[in-house]
Amino acid sequence: MSPATAVDLRVTLSGLELEHPLVDASGTFDLLEIARRFSGDYFAQFPYAAYVPKTVTADARTGNPPPRVTETASGMINAIGLENPGVEALVEALPALAPLRQPVIVSVGGNTAGQYAAVVRRLEEALATGGSALPAVAGYELNVSCPNVGGGLSIGVDPRATAEVTVAVRALTRRLVIVKLTPNVTDVRPVASAAVEAGADGLALVNTFRAMVLDPATLRPFLGSRTGGLCGPAIKPIALRMVAEVAEALPKVPLVGMGGVMSGRDALEFIACGATAVAVGAANFTGLEAPRRILDELRAECVARGLARVADARGIALTAGA
Amino acid sequence: MRSLPHDAHTPAEQWAATTRCRVVGVRRFGAFAAVELVAPGIAATARPGQFVMVTVPDGGFLLRRPLSLYTARADRVGLLVEARGAGSTRLAAVEVGEALDLAGPLGTGFPTQGVAGALLVGGGIGCAPLQFLADTLAGSGTQVTAALGFRDGRQARVAGAFDLPRLWVATEDGSVGRRGLVTDVLADLDVPASTTVYCCGPLPMVAAVQRWAAAAGVGGYASLEAHMACGTGSCHGCVVDTSRGLLRVCSEGPVFALDEVVAR
Repeated sequence: MSPATAVDLRVTLSGLELEHPLVDASGTFDLLEIARRFSGDYFAQFPYAAYVPKTVTADARTGNPPPRVTETASGMINAIGLENPGVEALVEALPALAPLRQPVIVSVGGNTAGQYAAVVRRLEEALATGGSALPAVAGYELNVSCPNVGGGLSIGVDPRATAEVTVAVRALTRRLVIVKLTPNVTDVRPVASAAVEAGADGLALVNTFRAMVLDPATLRPFLGSRTGGLCGPAIKPIALRMVAEVAEALPKVPLVGMGGVMSGRDALEFIACGATAVAVGAANFTGLEAPRRILDELRAECVARGLARVADARGIALTAGA
Repeated sequence: MRSLPHDAHTPAEQWAATTRCRVVGVRRFGAFAAVELVAPGIAATARPGQFVMVTVPDGGFLLRRPLSLYTARADRVGLLVEARGAGSTRLAAVEVGEALDLAGPLGTGFPTQGVAGALLVGGGIGCAPLQFLADTLAGSGTQVTAALGFRDGRQARVAGAFDLPRLWVATEDGSVGRRGLVTDVLADLDVPASTTVYCCGPLPMVAAVQRWAAAAGVGGYASLEAHMACGTGSCHGCVVDTSRGLLRVCSEGPVFALDEVVAR
């Protein structure tokens, strides 16, 4: 065994054992679509430690009018608008995910606590009767932070509304409940605390930053929905700051850090800022090889720094006593 | 317009893996570059109308650029790049000896079987997939007529990149070929209703081709362009409006039945 493979990359996210810290950011890697369309065994080669599919809502959503994406300086802007076929379609698609070795964390969206509850209730019902024909659904990520629906005001800007959604879902499941926070607030910590007090097992942060791009020819908003969410390397320093703030305020709460992770070093930086797991988003758009490369780089970073376990890096950037 | 079922052809084979491909030829036509690369895997399976995702070299660009296959001959593929934004400008400046990372072939191709006669219509950079299409159609004995439209003489220089037996060119400023839009050329042609029209260009051009096809009783296909993030069906960033709803250019397209595209 080479020294590079001797690093222990395993992490535990609120009781969920992951073979390494990397997961996909919801909406950036559609495993079923990729496995269906492309030659190759994408189930066996699935690079992430858990699979977070695209956010599902109670009813189907058509999403925003095009154009929906474009590149920006060191990043990209998107306004998909939670396009998805609804929870019933996900229930029907679940058996197709059964070959997946890794656990699934279902990303759930909605406009009201009742809509989140409806999705989780339906999935719990399906999982209770589906048995071994279904993938291992380890939990839910509550996307209270999509900036591209309902005029841009998300539930996640309000601690009380976030708590309400969390309480409603918590009552329906014993699986992991992770609340995905928006960075579009003055201070993310009150929302983070509200989610945890309402029963969240962990927090994921950050979603995209509300932003706008103009068409250079017309000087009008480029995106069909006028505003969108900024992601990619441009947001990484802000995301690191926010993850560190939450980690210092809530040191016992497991965090999934994300925002512009393009390399293994980026991933390690989020861990140093207190994240247990790290989500890879926009980097998936650079090629399907990106997650495997980032994982190899993360392992090499640990070797170069003499870290026997990646978990040993957790929180080293935080202030003492945090 | 004669309606053609889009699923009449078997889905093209698609590969998402990235391959580093050596640039072995670059021909420049004003702001355009015709780039020839050694890409045996892609060339072997590619169908006209399919595209590749191309990484912009030197870092500094997050998203790959979707480029139509302009040619596929033996172990080589050709790409046609127009320098427009910063990313395409870097790609258009590529030199022989450099290498580009390509993923593909991706997307649906143009159906080419059982075509009595073909009329190819391209606008601006939308002309890119038409050489590969013409090569394939000619290979199966289909008679091909092509009409390409450009803004001005500068942009029309790219017409020199096309080896087509019956080629008509229009420019909006009249500096090359017929003055007017490419659809003005179509009005002058005597096109039998059995013809299949293949078009690729901006949506207003597709709309004009739709109107012409409806009047001429001709059916066909349109290849569409969109800003794209993943190129592999995951992100739903590249949707266009169709009679089947919002569909992804990278997955359900880039080739659609002409009459299903909602173009205004």
